[in-house]
Amino acid sequence: MPTSPPPSAPSGPGSPRDVPPAPGQLPLDPDALPGPIRDELLAPDPVAIDTAAEELKDGLNRCPKCGASDIRQKPGSDLLICLYCRHEWQGERVEEAFGLGEGIDRLRGTVIASGARDIDAGSAALVSFKCAGCGAEVTVNTEAGMTARCHWCRHVFGVNEQIVNGAVPDAVLPFHIKKEDAVARIRQFVDKRRLFALKEFKEQFTPENVTGVYLPYMIVDANARAEVAGYGEIETRRYTRGSGNDKKTYYDADVYAVERQVSFTVDDLPLESSRSRGNLDTRVNTNNIINAILPFDTKNAVKWNASYLSGFSSEKRDLDVAQLMPVLDDQLLSIARAQVEGSVRRYDRGVRWEEEAIDVRGSRWVAMYLPVWLYSYHQPGPNGGMLHYIAVNGRTGETMGSIPIQHWKLLLAALAAGTVLEALAIWIVGHT
Amino acid sequence: MSDDSALWLLLGPAGAAGFYWAMYRYYRNTDKSHAFERETRVEAQPITGSDRKVDTIIGTRETRIRGDNVDAYRQRVRRVRISGDGGSEDDG
Repeated sequence: MPTSPPPSAPSGPGSPRDVPPAPGQLPLDPDALPGPIRDELLAPDPVAIDTAAEELKDGLNRCPKCGASDIRQKPGSDLLICLYCRHEWQGERVEEAFGLGEGIDRLRGTVIASGARDIDAGSAALVSFKCAGCGAEVTVNTEAGMTARCHWCRHVFGVNEQIVNGAVPDAVLPFHIKKEDAVARIRQFVDKRRLFALKEFKEQFTPENVTGVYLPYMIVDANARAEVAGYGEIETRRYTRGSGNDKKTYYDADVYAVERQVSFTVDDLPLESSRSRGNLDTRVNTNNIINAILPFDTKNAVKWNASYLSGFSSEKRDLDVAQLMPVLDDQLLSIARAQVEGSVRRYDRGVRWEEEAIDVRGSRWVAMYLPVWLYSYHQPGPNGGMLHYIAVNGRTGETMGSIPIQHWKLLLAALAAGTVLEALAIWIVGHT
Repeated sequence: MSDDSALWLLLGPAGAAGFYWAMYRYYRNTDKSHAFERETRVEAQPITGSDRKVDTIIGTRETRIRGDNVDAYRQRVRRVRISGDGGSEDDG
């Protein structure tokens, strides 16, 4: 175990540098495993809602006239229509209000929305108000929340004007998944992973303690051009030499110098804008779990209003656009490499890319709070132990988690599996 | 004992390690992260490029090109500056 986080991003299998497997993939065949393990593996996963669904398009907006929430987009227009009183009005979605999602191909330079401006280092996290009801001083600690109640007259305050400490974003995506739903999903997720889970974790498991947190993200639209160069090989002949046990396969191949260029636009790429959340080193933290429940239906985000945050906690943004630029470059390069993959299929022996270049012609940055239900368990251990998260996407319900393992139990099961296989191998060797 | 039977005897240790590794990932999900390559809306213009035959290999025993990284999108390679004019040329 390393004693401190490494300076560079972790790489290799098991790190977020690894392209994640497609959903539902498992390297083991569940049918070949004993009953209890198979049952766990085959139990259903918590269902994630398809955010393209029409009924989610309303966010948490209510009809300003009658308060009903049965609201639909009027087909063919930007208008929203209340299905109860037929009132029509312009939605408060930032997508339309700020013209996001349009003209990405014409973006030039770096466009930064007002809530995504650089953080002023001198600005404090504490914001105080004079209560309009009774005149008392009320303080809001923006490190952890955006609303506070005056303890004299019970008046509720929200931080609504944009201050330069990074706590007020441009937009917020309200919670859609209710707490009971999140609890049920977490329980379902953990029930699929009980056999080898840490005993203390199972004993202390109380999903009701899940908390709703608004986490800070930068939602980026970008317009870029990428170039990659390397070598590819096409197999021309395959033959075997030798006989019996010395039979060996040989290949002949043609080597090509391959170059590819692609121009592309990316719509609503979410980047963690909190320094600690952006560290995805799986050896020291489980932030990759929160990263894995992305993306959100950011198209439905509404203009910032602190009242969405009452009852939830929030984390403050502490990274500026300039600090996130390298992350954007990196992800755009990955996207470009994924895009060109289809054009090099004829190289059946693979391609080794050796050089890559990216030119971000234009990008647009919007600061947004995204809703996440977080359950955490602290596993004691060396170097402060490990904080395990189970996270539920507050919009789609996508659930991911890290369950601490009872190592001796898993080791024992692995040894048992190995012994059975070894016995089989000895039997085969003895009979051939 | 032949090479083949020695290989068979590795089945036990390999199976144990494989089982441990697979279950570890299933519980800890250390391999999961946001699959932005396929979950983000990307609109790409037609891909352009060139392919030039530079060499022929005869009788190699390797099944793939050495250092194959065609599907390891996130593995960064040497960064160079963009070669074109960087402008809005749309070559077909």
